[in-house]
Amino acid sequence: MRWFFVIVQIGIFGLAVSRIVVAMQDYYYYYAMGVIVMTMYSVAIFLGYEIYDEADEGYVEYLLSLPITRRELVIGRSLAGGLRSFIFMSPIIAGFLIIIGIEDPLKILTALVALYGFAFGVSGLSITLAVGLKSGDRFDIIMGALDAFIVRLSSALYPQAFMPGPIAIMSQFNPLTYATDLFRWSLNFDVSYLANPGLALVVLLLFLVTFNFAGIIMYEHNLEGGNWR
Amino acid sequence: MLRGMAYVIAHDFSVFFKYRWFLAGLISMNLADLLIMGVVFTKMVSFNYFKFLAPGIATMGLFAAAFVIGREVNMETRRGYNQYLLSLPLRRSELVFGRMVAGGARGLLYAIPLLILAMVILRFPSAIEIGLILFAMYLLGMGISGLAISLAVALRSFERFTTARSLLYLLLVFCSTVFYPISVLQQVLNGPLILFARINPLSTVSDLLRGYMMGTPPVTLLSWLELLTFSTVFILGGAGLYALAIQRSV
Repeated sequence: MRWFFVIVQIGIFGLAVSRIVVAMQDYYYYYAMGVIVMTMYSVAIFLGYEIYDEADEGYVEYLLSLPITRRELVIGRSLAGGLRSFIFMSPIIAGFLIIIGIEDPLKILTALVALYGFAFGVSGLSITLAVGLKSGDRFDIIMGALDAFIVRLSSALYPQAFMPGPIAIMSQFNPLTYATDLFRWSLNFDVSYLANPGLALVVLLLFLVTFNFAGIIMYEHNLEGGNWR
Repeated sequence: MLRGMAYVIAHDFSVFFKYRWFLAGLISMNLADLLIMGVVFTKMVSFNYFKFLAPGIATMGLFAAAFVIGREVNMETRRGYNQYLLSLPLRRSELVFGRMVAGGARGLLYAIPLLILAMVILRFPSAIEIGLILFAMYLLGMGISGLAISLAVALRSFERFTTARSLLYLLLVFCSTVFYPISVLQQVLNGPLILFARINPLSTVSDLLRGYMMGTPPVTLLSWLELLTFSTVFILGGAGLYALAIQRSV
């Protein structure tokens, strides 16, 4: 279903909107790259919902009883969450790279590292929120609201250059902005529409370290001793 | 007949407001589309996209809210709640049509604030035009409820229902004039897809709203006929399938 969503977004919405956009060249590719990163975000965030399923099935205590540290558990799950999103999207990413004709292995590697780094960070964010909130309903609501605003208040759909002041300011604090712009930069998109790649790399690193670290703390404080209700 | 239907409608309204968090999420999504995406795209396209999008968002909101009844009916069908419904001192027709009316009215109620916002952005039409707009939206709401109920009882499994709902949502919203004019869709779609986009009730209602509030595209008798046909087919189809489903659940 999510693949179908990507295909409709790129194949119908993207094509149609790119016909009415007059302010920039190649909006279609700009948009398609944004949709790929947005979908990585949606797939990676799903990890939080799985944590609630595990809690319902009493699987949390089993995980806590394993002979591994909490740090290994959280980072392992985040790495796996990122990898799953990456594998899920790989046919679409590969198809897109072929269509736009990128052959430079270094460029491809940078693009893939940007995507994976972002998905890894989002998985950490999802674990942090799921374990921190400990309520499936609240998590669902926060995820719905985050989804509505995190995408629209980022450069996933449109460049920061066209955003009015307050929207542009908010998009500067959004990791999705930096992940999409770093991905576009690695695929040779016009840099005048993108955030600084160095800054994007630093923000992405901070994002993934912060939320994985927060996830470890949350796991240690919120789940020990049958604390999950 | 009306008294029995009134009970069903009152019940469905009370259930609808239990979904307050879902509704809060939906309204944030609709407002974010209009107030963020609409504003930014206005700077990137050659016309006032914000004004163009406002009636489309009201239509999209109506569609999403009217579809919720399908989820309820699907859950009731799976959990055997239909037997309880059949035990109530109501005629079958009161129950079936009460639910259709409630589904459409809930969608309309949800969409009215978005419609008022669109009127504030564009212009307030005359009282007669407002009446026609509300009637068109109500017809769409009832048709969508009928469609949602048909799917809910035909695909009993929740997973199949949610998949079909998402598929339908993507096709109905993106292959419509909610986000872009039909002239643009004609450039990117062809064959059955462009035909689908033309007869899509979301296109019809979005354009009717634009016609009454912006003057373009012009409102035609054909648009009304298309909307009436869609609503009649899905209200009757949904009612028939729902009646059959609750009958079989005994």
